[in-house]
Amino acid sequence: MKDEDVKRAVKRHYTQAATKGTCCCGGAKDEDISKALGYVEKDISAFPEANLGLGCGNPIALGRIREGDVVLDLGSGAGLDCFLAARKVGTTGHVIGVDMTEAMIEKARKNAATYGFKHVEFRLGDIGQLPVDNASVDVIISNCVINLAPDKKAVFADAYRVLKHKGRMFISDIVLLKELTSEQRNDVDLITGCVSGAMLRDEYLNLIKDAGFAVTILAENTAISKQQYQSIPLESLTVEATKP
Amino acid sequence: MKKKVMDLLCCPVCKGPLVLHVDSEEKGEILSGSLSCSHCKVRYAITEGIPDLLPHESA
Repeated sequence: MKDEDVKRAVKRHYTQAATKGTCCCGGAKDEDISKALGYVEKDISAFPEANLGLGCGNPIALGRIREGDVVLDLGSGAGLDCFLAARKVGTTGHVIGVDMTEAMIEKARKNAATYGFKHVEFRLGDIGQLPVDNASVDVIISNCVINLAPDKKAVFADAYRVLKHKGRMFISDIVLLKELTSEQRNDVDLITGCVSGAMLRDEYLNLIKDAGFAVTILAENTAISKQQYQSIPLESLTVEATKP
Repeated sequence: MKKKVMDLLCCPVCKGPLVLHVDSEEKGEILSGSLSCSHCKVRYAITEGIPDLLPHESA
């Protein structure tokens, strides 16, 4: 499938997720999925409208985010991780969410207004071609999104560009433990469901390192394969990548 | 979007600076207007407070 066709399919799927509340996870409840991924009750109950159950880990819980930081969320969806980050950076910091799906950005912006966040901003953008200035961000977060990007090398290169010296990136994403069949690779539902666009675990880690980052693995969850992905050999990986 | 985040923004294509044009503003929040890149000769719209900084397909 061509890159542009993948992006179109992803946009269509996540527009539906934003407007109808459907998710990629076989009908489980959003709250239950989020709890299984490491979100605590008080975090998800504080922002119910922003939790669509579309993550695959909790990069915020494992990530070091300090007061005053500028945080960038790649694929911000309805805004849950941005709002959790916003509480950590305080009003001296700033959080920017980038997403390519208009309906998600609209929902996130409404949510920010509802929850009263003045230091969280959302913009339409492509995570492989970020509209963010060089060396302007302290922390990048991303939850189960990069697998959907056709050009992951561009995503990591651009992430490296926008981070400040010693900047940190915390990613949760789906990675494969075995190669998929060619039928699985071209299955649109598996692409938008975070499976077919995923890379093999080691290739994914090497790609981040090749972009210039020092990589530490923070968590690996293989149980997610059975819980949400019909036992396809994959896992959710949470990593910290530092710009030296 | 807010004016103070302008210094975090750049053109998604050439990474050059963007020039802000405001059509309507409320309490420091830009509701509509545009961001233009003089290098790429492209205008990115701000609609209902949201800047559309997706790279233009022709760009």
